[in-house]
Amino acid sequence: MPEIPESILKTLKSRKRHMCIKSQDSIPSCNESSIPGAVTQRSCVYGGARVVLMPITDAIHLVHGPVGCASCTWDIRGSRTSGDDLYKTGFSTDLKEKDIVFGGENKLFETIIELNKLYNPAAIFVYSTCVVGLIGDDLKSVCKKAQEITKCRVVPVQSEGFRSFNKSLGHRIACDALLDYVIGTDSENDQNQIKNENSRYKINIIGEFNVAGDLWAIKSLFERIGVEINCSVTGDSRVAQIVKAYNADLNVVQCQKSSNYLAHEMEKSYGIPSIKVNFFGIEETSESLRAVAEFFADEKMMKKTEELIGGDVKVLRSKIMGYRKRLEGKRVAVYVGGNKAWSLIRSFEELGMNVIMTGTQNGLPEDYQRIQDAVKDGTLVVDDAGSMELARLLKKYKPDLVVSGAKEKYMALKIGIPFCDFNHDRITSFAGFQGFINFAREVDRSVSSPVWNLVPKAFEE
Amino acid sequence: MIKENQEAHVGHKNFAVINPCRFCQPMGAVQALLGVKGAMPLIHGSQGCSTYMRFQLCRHYREPINVASTSMSEGTVVYGGEANLLKALKTIYQEYEPSLIGVTSSCLTETIGDDMPSIIKKFTESYLEAEDIIPIIPVSTPSYAGSHVEGYDRTIKALLENLTQKSNENGDNGKINIVTGTISPADVEEVKVILETIKCGSIILTDTSESLNAPITGDVSFLPCAGTILDDIKDSANSKGTISLCKHADSGASFLDKKYGVPSFSGPMPVGLKNTDEFIESLTNILGLKTSKKLERDRGRLIDAIVDAHSYNYDRKVAIYGDPDFVAGMTQFVSELGMVPSVICTGVSSQRFIDDVRRISDENGNDPIVLSGGDLYDLHEHIKGVDTDLLIGNSYGARIAKEENIPLVRLGFPIYDRLGAQRMPILGYRAGTHLVDLFTNTIIEKYYDDSAGKCDVPLREEGSE
Repeated sequence: MPEIPESILKTLKSRKRHMCIKSQDSIPSCNESSIPGAVTQRSCVYGGARVVLMPITDAIHLVHGPVGCASCTWDIRGSRTSGDDLYKTGFSTDLKEKDIVFGGENKLFETIIELNKLYNPAAIFVYSTCVVGLIGDDLKSVCKKAQEITKCRVVPVQSEGFRSFNKSLGHRIACDALLDYVIGTDSENDQNQIKNENSRYKINIIGEFNVAGDLWAIKSLFERIGVEINCSVTGDSRVAQIVKAYNADLNVVQCQKSSNYLAHEMEKSYGIPSIKVNFFGIEETSESLRAVAEFFADEKMMKKTEELIGGDVKVLRSKIMGYRKRLEGKRVAVYVGGNKAWSLIRSFEELGMNVIMTGTQNGLPEDYQRIQDAVKDGTLVVDDAGSMELARLLKKYKPDLVVSGAKEKYMALKIGIPFCDFNHDRITSFAGFQGFINFAREVDRSVSSPVWNLVPKAFEE
Repeated sequence: MIKENQEAHVGHKNFAVINPCRFCQPMGAVQALLGVKGAMPLIHGSQGCSTYMRFQLCRHYREPINVASTSMSEGTVVYGGEANLLKALKTIYQEYEPSLIGVTSSCLTETIGDDMPSIIKKFTESYLEAEDIIPIIPVSTPSYAGSHVEGYDRTIKALLENLTQKSNENGDNGKINIVTGTISPADVEEVKVILETIKCGSIILTDTSESLNAPITGDVSFLPCAGTILDDIKDSANSKGTISLCKHADSGASFLDKKYGVPSFSGPMPVGLKNTDEFIESLTNILGLKTSKKLERDRGRLIDAIVDAHSYNYDRKVAIYGDPDFVAGMTQFVSELGMVPSVICTGVSSQRFIDDVRRISDENGNDPIVLSGGDLYDLHEHIKGVDTDLLIGNSYGARIAKEENIPLVRLGFPIYDRLGAQRMPILGYRAGTHLVDLFTNTIIEKYYDDSAGKCDVPLREEGSE
């Protein structure tokens, strides 16, 4: 990819390497610290760990730190539940000055004991924050001691915010917490017994957080082809289900940004193979279902899969015709935190729209490789853009739609560009075939509203 | 937590905070800085601090919010944050051309002991030419001490300490300083309207009325597009007096009083009749002005609204939660309406708050449960034990409202599940009139709709408790 020409964007010299236009086979510089002083879209390691584990519904998620870390992040993820809603409660040890001086271990211990009494949860995940790392509280030993006393599973998550500039480390730390303290921690007897009664078609869905109910849309598709979901990590899951995650024939990985590592480790420990799937868009959903059916190599299942795809896709295509007519040829900019930077590209193409810009704040080289494979020549790819850069790019590129999160929403609207939230705040399921109709409707709602005739445009000529 | 009325039936807890009802200091600091025209808030800490705060602020105000970060990470924590802070100041200076940079610390940088003032001095001396120098103001806001309320207070004080100057001719600008506290931009606007009505010149510290409620103009600004200008902050040393609309935000006013002899008045938040009266009285006394016909008319309309609504509201039990000044102001107001505070809760630990609501309650013959330093769990547990007909507070109480089947009027911060928080004033007579209707209509919808809004049904069926 050639470097982005000066005429496109005025920015700091050191930032130029982080943007490029797709043509050949290079990727933007990435996985580097943000420039201090930038208004970064990045979060912290604690945030990365929390988003992965938070959807476990029957657990307490206790933030060990000053109150702010908890009060800014409780109940902010639109992960839905079919039962328990303990995960929506915000818990903090509320460290004060004297705890910083004398250490917060005792307070943490007492808090765990107290919370266990009040809620009798299936598990308590304890997240460490920046200051806990500095004062050196021994999270592991406190959790161990508290677990012995409470008999409740108490899981340390060593997610000090400053440990990396890239919250992907937080994802990994969250996966490690599951691998070390949850998955396969039942007795060997139980494990053997369960393995013996295993059916042939059991999968785990990994990296699916059930935002707006996406998991349920995917689950129903699998049920129709005769595949049973053993557990979901972590959307709408219970601790007991994740404990038995070893009991699957296959891991299908939905968010490949947060959860490839978990699948990889489970293959090493339990011999469970994995495949990468994507349930956003008609083709991606179809291919993902086919891939699972092919993995099991069951003719009946493959036939059922083709029937399902054939039937659903036909209906789907006719249902989205109206939306497509209005959306055809519109241009989209995607700037997100996770795997959507590449997994959404084809969905937009299926609506007749072109992705002209994409990027992510936490991309690793392999992420940009996937983006490279997904986008057309001429697409702008940008890593870790701050808010000012982003605004400049939008003004220059004049997309008809921005897909991003809450922090970018009002900036886009002020510039006069329709916005679609594909993040935590989303309330409509976009996954699977039914989800694609919702997606088309949502995009159409944003783009085709007459309000855009009222808004003065900030575009640069 | 300081609890009064300990007899209440609560699942007792001593350690955990469950569903917090306050934020940490940097959050308040950012809110204060967003009212200074051209100011960039910079949080010296990890990236999550600025990002999560921006998330909260923009989903409440529904405006783009920019807060810079020094992006501390493992390596820089070991060696101290000097290099990051220097680099951050340089980046902001080059990229954003701000009028001022407000640097707030976090739990991380407080604990590693970064000396922000000396790093800033180093930056100014070694990097900036004399003619380029902009104020760069450090505020110590460790997240493990105080709350966003103190963070706000400290920031206003720091702005005044660093910027004010008594003019040479022992001048008197004839103006009044208003320290707003963490109120909504619509409230700042409402206060400005009142000041204009009585032709009172003012300096608002700080003025978020436009920056956090901006019109669509065809462009987006990265720094507060409007707000208090530096010259005005400087000039506030020459004013006739300072009124703090929030008692918990009055350190700046005390500073001006001590250093320059600018008299300081720390009032209750002017919510409802009595508190607004007090505010107008302070104003007119300080400046020797008369209240205006228009204000008297607005006052009469508020009383008219209260009278129209009285039979719906009388003896209705109300639980209120949020920032201390908001809750105290609201407690006074609902008492004026003939309502009865049942549980009064703030997340901040404050004896001043307890004294205030106690006094208000005594004056009105009420005896609410008062929680200072409480959380929404405490609030919920106490609500379970007493009659409550109406909840007043932020969006975080929605679950309590649902579970207990009590209607919630969303006021305070943050409000993310409804629109218009930035456009809705609660201060002054006019806003009070709308609030009366809002409370009353909520009560009618919940308790009187079967009677087509006619107020001839008993409050509660006898013996239904």
